[in-house]
Amino acid sequence: MADVQTGFFRRQWQQDGPLGLIARLILGVIFIYASMDKIAHPAAFAKDIYNYQILPEVLINLTALALPWLELILGIFLVIGLFREGTAWMVTLLLIVFFGAMVFNLARGLDIHCGCFHTSAQGTDSAPMAWYVFRDGLFLVPAFYLFFRTVREQLQAARGRAS
Amino acid sequence: MKTERLGKNIWRAAWQSGAMVVLAMFIGLLVNEGRSDGLALVADWSPEVRLTTDAGDSMVVSLEEAERLCLDKKAVFLDARPPEEYARGHISCAKNVPWQGFEAYMDRVWGVIPEDAWIVTYCDGEACSLSEDLAKELMALGYKQVKVLLNGWTQWKEAGLPVETRDGDRQTAGIEKDGTSSHHRGHPLQYS
Repeated sequence: MADVQTGFFRRQWQQDGPLGLIARLILGVIFIYASMDKIAHPAAFAKDIYNYQILPEVLINLTALALPWLELILGIFLVIGLFREGTAWMVTLLLIVFFGAMVFNLARGLDIHCGCFHTSAQGTDSAPMAWYVFRDGLFLVPAFYLFFRTVREQLQAARGRAS
Repeated sequence: MKTERLGKNIWRAAWQSGAMVVLAMFIGLLVNEGRSDGLALVADWSPEVRLTTDAGDSMVVSLEEAERLCLDKKAVFLDARPPEEYARGHISCAKNVPWQGFEAYMDRVWGVIPEDAWIVTYCDGEACSLSEDLAKELMALGYKQVKVLLNGWTQWKEAGLPVETRDGDRQTAGIEKDGTSSHHRGHPLQYS
């Protein structure tokens, strides 16, 4: 079990290597920063989610309340290196979901407020959705790196155990 | 053995993810309970509820009322959609004040439209929020009579009410492509 252990207290700073550490820190800071304004303005964030016109109405407020905290938890765990596999999976999943939601609305011509870092309580926002899609794609680079690394480690661990 | 081991690792990633989601929901709901302005867990997002002012007045204007306001030139119509969509076609008495990048279009409103004027904003689609956001910003700026024509462009068009299009021979000069110039030219509505 000791070969692929998770957890901050299990020498995982050494396990990560510089690239993994950088990827984790970048994503961690981005996610912590992204959560702040949404935690402060849940009503405005709920409006942003509503504007995406994707979630059913009953889920909008629950998502507006929980998602920012999930982002904060993910960000903190990424920075301190806790739940390495879970965070890599969730961050990748969330960024893909955000990417999909934005591309979907871009494709159907719905030009809405991103709600990514600042809720609409912060005033208007003239950047086009295409820019947010591109930015989200950039964030996916370190996320995919972490994700595929955990997959590779899992495969290696499985192989090592089998032989 | 190999698949069993791999299964364990996937299982670990899955429970870690689940644990974080549960924790986030727990904290989110707990914090919401503690806030004085906490959200209702399930909200009513119907336009009538969203467009009711704090004083309890509805900001929704019916198509019939909007038609009368337009034809009698009693209200200023503002099209909150992007300039390209406005250019493709709009309500005949509307001028374009896109909500996206509103600051850049402020000069079409501020100092041009008197504060006590009736204003009707619209965009397109049941779910379009541009007109609502514009209307609420205008009220915040001090305009007293701001109304929203829900699903305005589609409703208006389908009712066969007067419109202007890029190809139309009326008012072509007033239709902007870049949204930077000539927005008063050819506009049928007078504000006096």
